[in-house]
Amino acid sequence: MRTILAMALLAVSARAQLSPEQKQLNIDSFEKVWTTIRDKHWDKTPGGLDWNAIHAEFRPKIEAAPSTEAARAVMRDMLARLHQTHFAIFPSVIYEDVGVQVQGDGETGIDLRVLDKQAIVTTVDPGSPAEKAGVKPGWAILSARGKELGPTIKTLQADPSITELTLVRALLARLTGPIGGRFAVIFLDGENQRRALELPLAEPRGQISHFGNLPAMHVWFESKKIANTGYVRFNMFLDMPRVMASFSDAVASCKQCDGLIIDLRGNPGGIGGMAMGMAGYVEDKPDEKLGTMYMRGTTLNFVINPRPEVFRGPVAILVDGSSASTSEIFAGGLKDLGRARVFGERTAAAALPSMIEKLPNGDGFQYAIANYVSEGGKPLEANGVTPDMEVNLTRAALLAGHDSVIDAAVQWIKKQRTPE
Amino acid sequence: MTRRLILFTIPLFSLRLFAADDALPKAETILDRFVEVTGGKAAYEKRKTEISTGTFEVPAANIKGPMTRYSAAPDKSYISIELDGVGKIEQGTNGGVAWSKDVMQGARIKSGDEKAQSLREGLFNSPLQWRKMFSKVETAGVETIDGEECYKVLMTPTEGKPETTYYQKKSGLAVKTTGIASSQMGEIEFEAVVSEYKPFDGVLMPTKVIQKAAGQEFTMTIETVKTNPEIPADRFELPADIKTLVDKK
Repeated sequence: MRTILAMALLAVSARAQLSPEQKQLNIDSFEKVWTTIRDKHWDKTPGGLDWNAIHAEFRPKIEAAPSTEAARAVMRDMLARLHQTHFAIFPSVIYEDVGVQVQGDGETGIDLRVLDKQAIVTTVDPGSPAEKAGVKPGWAILSARGKELGPTIKTLQADPSITELTLVRALLARLTGPIGGRFAVIFLDGENQRRALELPLAEPRGQISHFGNLPAMHVWFESKKIANTGYVRFNMFLDMPRVMASFSDAVASCKQCDGLIIDLRGNPGGIGGMAMGMAGYVEDKPDEKLGTMYMRGTTLNFVINPRPEVFRGPVAILVDGSSASTSEIFAGGLKDLGRARVFGERTAAAALPSMIEKLPNGDGFQYAIANYVSEGGKPLEANGVTPDMEVNLTRAALLAGHDSVIDAAVQWIKKQRTPE
Repeated sequence: MTRRLILFTIPLFSLRLFAADDALPKAETILDRFVEVTGGKAAYEKRKTEISTGTFEVPAANIKGPMTRYSAAPDKSYISIELDGVGKIEQGTNGGVAWSKDVMQGARIKSGDEKAQSLREGLFNSPLQWRKMFSKVETAGVETIDGEECYKVLMTPTEGKPETTYYQKKSGLAVKTTGIASSQMGEIEFEAVVSEYKPFDGVLMPTKVIQKAAGQEFTMTIETVKTNPEIPADRFELPADIKTLVDKK
């Protein structure tokens, strides 16, 4: 028995053993990460650290790393010392085609948030497997693939370093898998009855968008009217040609609207410049800006260029703890300018502009290149955007077919209407 | 003692200054030599229109797309770049108007230093026109770039920020320009390294430009250059939305 165990260990060890070339690629990757931060971090002393001392500390660790996973962990540990968002190492596998089923890009069409320590369905994509199976907003997700979500939520919420954004992403990851696959989910429905469903996994909503080194992503945009208020929502600031055109069309079709709601809940950001471009559809004053980006040796103003046709009515922006980066730049800037009223929950406070490059070992390296201060004078990184009106989703409202954040925005817009 | 030191120091400086003036050619000479080594005034003056094609790339971000530039004497230009995930970016100059149009920010007309800079870049046969573009040029020293000694020429435009161009002593070719570019988002330090000169109908042109600005690196590669092609006049016409903005102003 001991011999078998020893052989098994040897086999695992042999499989994990790096060739000298792979080891060198990991060392080169480490050097690339360290040098990039030394040369491109907006602060000459990144994170207030002695960056040369960091090199001296971590270089022996990368040299001793027995596997690419271990090397990745060393680089992640080094980046963690900065205590700043948008510094990350992505495993090389995320660069493979999204169409490949083993990547697990299949989704059920459910979006969720954690309300009162429970994973609650907040939206169900139209036409998605979840909608076809009858899943409704407000249902609680008790378990997926036989694993209860409650303990995960408890553990993650107890960790102060885990943000709401990370928590939601971790839970949503439980609801993904290979396209065409199926898995068991147990819900608590509107009658508080357990419902066991076998949900198929389908292509995510939207169209695949490619942008540089970012992994291919599905981007969707929706617009509709709620009474006489325009409503737009999109999942990312990406696929610029399509999303900007859709945003432009939505604004153009809303000339007579009482107001416009821009729903950025769950939107993790994307191309920062799109915030400026979209702001130009609702702000008609020239020379206004959303904020300022500070890079080493350069200061960039996020200037708003008013479009020929600008929507001049009331604008409400909806945010939550999963609204990050460009969403925060957009919401924070328009709030500071007094052009929009922000509803919902405080944003993720993760707004540093970043680049993603491939490392010699094939992994992806995300690094922030600038600090960003919103027009009101506050860095978004530490503070996020605090809503003008704090509104929390509730399970009861969702079950009753209401989104309390949208309802609050619609009510506010109604009150803004000028009497004829 | 102090007095003596000063007395000794002054002649040393004087000698050094004199030597420097004596050794360095005048900036005017360096700029005129550039015209000569790239084909000569007559070759430039035969050119009235040009269409060049190539690629624009942000290598670190893996963003790349085709680029086409149309230009015509004396000051008309139009450039179009199409990038995956970004869309079409257009810029042009005509009749004293410098404009840009892209999916992200829409249409706008440039003003101030940014406009002046674009109008300079839009001048046809720009190497011939340095006297028109710059009110002051001066040789500021010698620096070694990639193992080659280069004259450093400081050029102050009639409007806008000064820039510095480095010309190889041996070949007379420009290899690098540094300065501050003006943009709608603010002033941005830049460095543009030009290389891979190739002849196109008697004129040598750099076919590769690597520009570093705002922490990013951009590469422009020219693949084809057509000299004196027919260019429809409407190619340089201001787009309708730009015309509207001009009329509003």
